[in-house]
Amino acid sequence: MLGVNMAWRNVWRNPRRSGVVISAVAVGVAGALLAMSVTYGMGLQMVETAISTDLGHIQIHASGYDANPELQVRMLDGGQRALSVVSDAPGVRAFARRVRGEGLVTSARASAGVKVIGVEPEREREVSIVADSITAGRYLDGTERRVLIGERLARRLQVDLGDKLVVSVTDLAGDLTGLGVRVGGLFHTPSSVVDGNVVFLLLADSRSLLGLGDAISEIVVIGEEATGVDALRDQLQERLSALEVTNWKQAEPLLDYLIGFFDQIGYYLYGAVFVAMLFGIANVLLMAIHERIREIGVLMAIGMSRGRLATAIVGESLIVTGVGLVIGYAVAIAVVLAFRDGIDLSRVSAGLEAFGVGQRIVPVLRTDDFLIPTLVATATAAAASAWPVYRATRLRPAEAVRHT
Amino acid sequence: MTVILEARKVHKTYYARGVETPALRGIDLSVGEGEFTVLAGPSGSGKTTLLNLFGALDAPSSGEVFLDGARLADLTPAQLSELRLRKLGFVFQSYNLIPVFTARENVEFVMELQAISRAERRERADALLRSVDVFELANKRPLEMSGGQQQRIAVARAIASHPRIVLADEPTANLDSETAGRLLDLMLRLNEQEGVTFLFSTHDPLVIDRARRRIGLADGKVIRDERLG
Repeated sequence: MLGVNMAWRNVWRNPRRSGVVISAVAVGVAGALLAMSVTYGMGLQMVETAISTDLGHIQIHASGYDANPELQVRMLDGGQRALSVVSDAPGVRAFARRVRGEGLVTSARASAGVKVIGVEPEREREVSIVADSITAGRYLDGTERRVLIGERLARRLQVDLGDKLVVSVTDLAGDLTGLGVRVGGLFHTPSSVVDGNVVFLLLADSRSLLGLGDAISEIVVIGEEATGVDALRDQLQERLSALEVTNWKQAEPLLDYLIGFFDQIGYYLYGAVFVAMLFGIANVLLMAIHERIREIGVLMAIGMSRGRLATAIVGESLIVTGVGLVIGYAVAIAVVLAFRDGIDLSRVSAGLEAFGVGQRIVPVLRTDDFLIPTLVATATAAAASAWPVYRATRLRPAEAVRHT
Repeated sequence: MTVILEARKVHKTYYARGVETPALRGIDLSVGEGEFTVLAGPSGSGKTTLLNLFGALDAPSSGEVFLDGARLADLTPAQLSELRLRKLGFVFQSYNLIPVFTARENVEFVMELQAISRAERRERADALLRSVDVFELANKRPLEMSGGQQQRIAVARAIASHPRIVLADEPTANLDSETAGRLLDLMLRLNEQEGVTFLFSTHDPLVIDRARRRIGLADGKVIRDERLG
């Protein structure tokens, strides 16, 4: 216990010097944590946007859709068999059928290539945030030939509520066909891709337009728990072996990769912080040992073994690092709590919406965000002590006790 | 009388920047249990060097040193540490207390290294501080004490581990004569009442006068060995 006391008090013998290292560790750790929390929060928002505007947690398609997402690959029975399984499956919160095609939408002044998505309004409302993102007009209410488009697409087409559009597609038979519709509502979501490239219309209208008959393209499923998606997918796939059941990661592997990439950036950040920390701590310890050569000689003279001496020096390093970590964690937690309603990024939101990130990013700290730096910092503190320990334990006691 | 320390044909030569400086030239000497002995001589006579060799803080260039029957050259660094911890106590000229510890903690620390329980450590440290008349300083740090007070605590630390022998290197050099006299009285008392063996290196006449055995050193050789009373 006195050994720990000695290490603790030695740290504070030169408060300014220790304070500089502690501050460096704290600022570095807090900075890295905050960067991690923001990038993770951004990634989380990207995922949530993708799930809530398009992907859902799970998608069910006819077999072969993943490799060839064309109209021809469809559920001929209108998804009835899959619907009965999904509606009975435990862990399913909501589901909705969709028709998905591609085409060209033309106004009196402009045209744009779009995804044409036919939905069942009431069910779609439970799997998508589009219904809650209406900024003008009304959500789909069953009125035929009414469409929802994003504000961004409306600007491109230079149209407003009630204006007429023509949606042109190549139908199942390969014929070019079109449907005259009116803008029934405008929406704004955190995704500029959805806002600028999607036309939502009734499932019946889309089937008619694309010549699909009773067929649908997909069923989107939202699970009760985001963490149980993989298990739910496996369960549904087992019961729907003739269909393709994919989770959002399989549907958008790039998104999954980006989340991992953000984590990697965080690890590189920690690497840079801790390498800088390593030299700082080693420097402080070396200076401290240089100032205490005689004291170390005395400790050896009274019977302190090299092992105990090494432990005391590593202890000092761990204390400096530990105090820095705790302060860094406290600062990071305080900042994250202060921004729990999100960091306002409205100035750059136009650029971020391309990635599915809205105007406010809520920073998120995970348990791993603390675990990894704690482990790395401990290892760094031990590594930083290596040279000082070597120097101290190589001192010859007879010379050390005479050192002035 | 049981021999605790023994030097046989000990030579010690220092080398610095290609220059050889012989410090000890063939020392043959033994110290018995319960002795109160001084190594006296002028600066450069080899007193401190010999004390360091007896204290397992340094190794001879040739010859053999024995402590309590163990040949020091046969021991590993870890065994030498253990030997210093269990059998030796040191008192230094500059007191050399651990500055971040209080007086009590300085005395306790040696016992902690010996894995003595906290309660026993505390009890013994307090008793030792009382025996050297500085109990009232138990919670003070070295910088808050006079030199004499620090040296008393250094003595308490030196005997806290129940050593076979205490090696004291110029323990009175930084003290005024009155304080030095009181410190010597204390060490004599510990020698007489508790049987602690003391070996001093000094050129302080006050210490030399009170010793029961005086070993004179000059130019790295024993030139005199007197036993008194």
